[in-house]
Amino acid sequence: MHILYINNSGSGFADRIEVADGLTVRTLFEQKMSGKPADYLIRVNRQPASADQVLQEGDRVSITPTKIEGAH
Amino acid sequence: MPLRLTPYAWAKLQRLRDLSDTEVGGFGVSAKDDLLLVEDVCLIRQQCSAVTVRFEDVAVADFFDWQVDRGLAPERFARIWIHTHPGNSAQPSVTDEETFARCFGTADWAVMFILACGGQTYARLRFRAGPGGALVLPVEIDFSEPFEASDWEAWDAEYVEAVMAEPVLPQPERRPRLAPAEAELHELALAARWNHALWDDVPRLASPFDEDFCPYPFPETADDYVGAPF
Repeated sequence: MHILYINNSGSGFADRIEVADGLTVRTLFEQKMSGKPADYLIRVNRQPASADQVLQEGDRVSITPTKIEGAH
Repeated sequence: MPLRLTPYAWAKLQRLRDLSDTEVGGFGVSAKDDLLLVEDVCLIRQQCSAVTVRFEDVAVADFFDWQVDRGLAPERFARIWIHTHPGNSAQPSVTDEETFARCFGTADWAVMFILACGGQTYARLRFRAGPGGALVLPVEIDFSEPFEASDWEAWDAEYVEAVMAEPVLPQPERRPRLAPAEAELHELALAARWNHALWDDVPRLASPFDEDFCPYPFPETADDYVGAPF
């Protein structure tokens, strides 16, 4: 099945990718990302997702950094 | 290799910086064929104070979705992190460095760009190609291409929609410090308000050493305790 995958790691990505049926959010993160899930906001179809959520055909998954803050 | 901003982006960033006393931040949107040329500055919904700026996590995700829907790749809209400093120094703080490493460290390249209130700029490119490294970049305004006119009305509206000032705790009210001559007059005025008459009618309290108060002599030696009730 295909999903739209958006993230900023590596060269950055925003395109359709093919994934295995029954893939969970946790497995996708482990396959595609490095670092801790807590450092990212993971959304499926613009809604916060749980780690065990099973992805469906056509889902839109975004993994974006959290706690972007500056101080002087 | 400088970081360049179009006059439009530069004017917008300056306008956003000067709209209030707080910091403000956003992402630079790069030109399609030149990723170190910033064509626009986009604010993210954020909470700001005079010394901090914090993007809302959901707003960052919304920004990614919006830009992808516009057909932009993340390397054009999510690699140049911009924020302002209220003072004259654009040098990054510890918090700035931590954020740059944590949030942008996994990208192939990213730029931290800071504009201080006094006009000083700081831009540093971090890249992961080869052994990786970092490079402080000069900042330039690129007048070589045609550019849009400024649009204060739209910029101000974007600012109002995105920026929330963090609540400031009320400061305890302090009395104004008096000059020495005034302070002396103040003391005299307080003394004049003291009503001695109120105290003249109060009978003097007995002292512990008065005989009325204690009919027994104060024991000073062991013999004095003989016959004493205590």
